[in-house]
Amino acid sequence: MWFVLMLVILLTNGMSSFGLKVLQAWGLPSSSKYVYLTIWYAAGFACIGAPMLGKGLKLGLKEIRWGAILAALSIGGQLAMASALQQGLPGNVVFPVTLGGSILIVALASRVLFAEKMHPLSWAGMAVGCVAVVLLSVS
Amino acid sequence: MLMCICGAISFGLLATASKFAERNRCNASALTVSVFAWAAFFMLGQTFRLVGHVQTTWPVATLAVGLGVCAAIAYFAFQTSIDVGNVTVGWLMMNLSAGVPALVSLWLYGEKMSLIRSIAFVLAVVSLLCLFQGNRLEAKGKNRGEA
Repeated sequence: MWFVLMLVILLTNGMSSFGLKVLQAWGLPSSSKYVYLTIWYAAGFACIGAPMLGKGLKLGLKEIRWGAILAALSIGGQLAMASALQQGLPGNVVFPVTLGGSILIVALASRVLFAEKMHPLSWAGMAVGCVAVVLLSVS
Repeated sequence: MLMCICGAISFGLLATASKFAERNRCNASALTVSVFAWAAFFMLGQTFRLVGHVQTTWPVATLAVGLGVCAAIAYFAFQTSIDVGNVTVGWLMMNLSAGVPALVSLWLYGEKMSLIRSIAFVLAVVSLLCLFQGNRLEAKGKNRGEA
């Protein structure tokens, strides 16, 4: 189950961000990204919401509350990254610091707040993975 | 640089809050629906504020629908994975997935494979192998402990 989920994350999350590059390649004005992202989020909402509705699952108050917090953090991260780029910081500084930094924060939180333990080989994988993420965002 | 650090904190807190939501017994699909609904609502507001209308072409809409579905599945898989595994590994996988569009770009747009990118791909594969093997050993250890 865990392996399948990791493969699904790897393939779907990677492809999901590819659209902005395609819009750029099509030579569309930058304002088109707002409409694009509205449809993008609405499609994601419908894709999980429709089967949920079919099963008769309801949206609880705690999911609505946590959803608002998560959406605010996601949008906050995107806006902070966009502001850094607008201030003239090069992408090969902004992306590695933001993405690499977020992994370190999560690793720290998982240890301190959730007492999650990992095999030494998994820690080695994490360290190598962090370097790979930084290099990918630099390139 | 302050904005970069704010971005890192924001994304780091996003993954941490996802784990808190899981500990709070939030349903993964309901949470995904809620996150995407809030974000769609915000983006719609931004679209009206900055563009003034919601109008686009069929190819853009088709692309947005296809990749929006991918994003929702990815977040749903991440939220489900932190119930059965480590949040750090799930988050790393979300970030390592940046290699997939980079690979597609090489093939689709004929981009050149730089030395840094080649090293990044090799390291990503090594990392995945270590993580998968590490997880297998952890599961083995847990099974032995239970026996």
